[in-house]
Amino acid sequence: MYKTTKAIGFATALFASAATANAESITVSVWGGFFEETLAAEVYPGFTEKTGIEVKSIAQPEDSTWMTQLMAAARAKKAPADLSLVADEVLIRGNNAGLWAKLDPNNLTDTKDLKEGYVKLDDSNKAYAVGALAFYTTLVTNTDYTKDAPASWADLWEDKWDSKLGIVTTPNSGLLEATAKTFFGGYEIMQTREGLEKVIAKIAELKPQVSLWYRDEGQFQQGLEAGELNAGLYYHDVAMLSIWDGKPIASNFPKEGGILSNAYWVVPRDSKNISATEKFVSYMSLPETQALMARKLGIFPIVPRDSMDLTDEEFSAVGSEIEAVKVQTEIHLREGDWLESKYQEMIAQ
Amino acid sequence: MTGRSNGAYPVNSFVVRILGLTAFGILSVFFLLPLAYMVVVSFYKADPMAFYQVAFTWENYQKYFSSFYLNVTLRTLWSTALSAVVVVVVVLAFTAMLTIVELSRKWQLFWVILLLSMMCLSEVIVGFSWLILLSESAGIPRLLGALGFWDDPRSLSPSFGAMIIGLVTLGFSVVSLVLYPQLAGRDKSVEEAARTLGTPPYLVPFYVTLPIFRQSLIALTLTMFVYLLGVFVMPVMLGRPSDWTMTVMISDKALGDANLPLGAALAVVMLIITGALLLLSLYLSRKRTV
Repeated sequence: MYKTTKAIGFATALFASAATANAESITVSVWGGFFEETLAAEVYPGFTEKTGIEVKSIAQPEDSTWMTQLMAAARAKKAPADLSLVADEVLIRGNNAGLWAKLDPNNLTDTKDLKEGYVKLDDSNKAYAVGALAFYTTLVTNTDYTKDAPASWADLWEDKWDSKLGIVTTPNSGLLEATAKTFFGGYEIMQTREGLEKVIAKIAELKPQVSLWYRDEGQFQQGLEAGELNAGLYYHDVAMLSIWDGKPIASNFPKEGGILSNAYWVVPRDSKNISATEKFVSYMSLPETQALMARKLGIFPIVPRDSMDLTDEEFSAVGSEIEAVKVQTEIHLREGDWLESKYQEMIAQ
Repeated sequence: MTGRSNGAYPVNSFVVRILGLTAFGILSVFFLLPLAYMVVVSFYKADPMAFYQVAFTWENYQKYFSSFYLNVTLRTLWSTALSAVVVVVVVLAFTAMLTIVELSRKWQLFWVILLLSMMCLSEVIVGFSWLILLSESAGIPRLLGALGFWDDPRSLSPSFGAMIIGLVTLGFSVVSLVLYPQLAGRDKSVEEAARTLGTPPYLVPFYVTLPIFRQSLIALTLTMFVYLLGVFVMPVMLGRPSDWTMTVMISDKALGDANLPLGAALAVVMLIITGALLLLSLYLSRKRTV
């Protein structure tokens, strides 16, 4: 019995060590890989210089996996990080489950430049999330295979990719929306299950052409660079990093638009450093910081263009003027399990 | 002497009891309690807007019995059983080859160390190595293309075959390390006797050697079956979505969609099916020997 208690004590100590107790430092977690490395090397030092608060950067796994871990940590009253980057779906689910700490909008005056709707307020006028950045998913092609930039999402359905397409396995990649907008005249069809089934059936037509259904972006990137894939759905920002690195890749905005998703900063409920996190999100919302992230990470800024000093060339490298395809998060949440199962069955059957 | 050991008995039994209790404690804390928790969670109600609600519902189990999960279960059992049989057969062939050449002690040691170091490699590294070996740009297809055996070399993964190769590689070293010492150190006089009594030499392995090791081969195949059933990386890395096993589906549900109750229910059903299959095959194999 003694051993048991000791083992539990040890496990909790291990877990607790992840969250820092030092008031002068915060732990920030974002999606792992190049993204996290670049933020830590290029963006966080400016914050430390300005405020004296050290940033400990850690990598977090894929969205829902991370939410499951945050949930388990919250039950043990721990915060694995003081700040975390999450996409729409996790933001909403986490908020409904009471996972996020509430920030005081009065301490967030530096977020005034953010486009409307990026400071998420609850009923009592407290902020539970602040916009961090936006990112595009586009139709990425291997330029060694074809120099022609696909003009429409419909090009994916044409029999010209030598059965070497890479597509995301999860239904919230934006492919449903892009398909609806391209073939069914808009998102309206996604309102009903019958409609969703039609869209999924349309995506199923891609199957003979798809050689990789991926969840892990690294696998797609590797396949594309090695010539194992000719085209697919991929993040514009990481594609741009590869292009700047001289890889034979093109990131194309089809005429129906690239898929635009938002990412938000949230503070796990049990963080002990709320005031430092308020300073952090404020700093990350400044037009200078947004412009820096656009240059270094290839992400799409969420402050108005005229507030930043990005050149035309720099701006067109990270986004496009075409109206974006928007992931219909409410539909994904409403149909949750049903939609995921249908989609998974379509892929795996 | 007798007196001494009598005196030592109480101490021994005390030590044994403590050891037993510790083992039981560890088993409860790290295996039985999580298992119980999993069973409990499998009856909770998933909440797509948040996480889950504490409830008692059979809903998650009902979902299992949709045709999709049943199909996946069947193909999981099929691919895992196939890999388990293949790995044992391959190892048998490999061991037979080694025993035929009657290796010196030094070479035997070399093989054992090689096999042990294979066991140290993580699943991810084994999977990744095969991914590269089977890829069109760097691997076997390219080699075949360069040698003129393949006009249009293509990546061999993801595919069912690639997944089976990955699974077999994983099991190979484990099975070898169990089988090799047994086969190398077997009593050869029985085989000699069979030959003397007129069994054609090429039939001796089938009539004599294999039947002697029958029980341990069956046990090994079953162990491999259970071990490979839980492998996650190989199907994801080397298999197509239509080859994905229940392990992948369970982690997809539990982690990917954050639907812990459904993931738990799927896991519980898989546990029951696996347990039932194991009991059945053990029962059948015993019955036949008697």
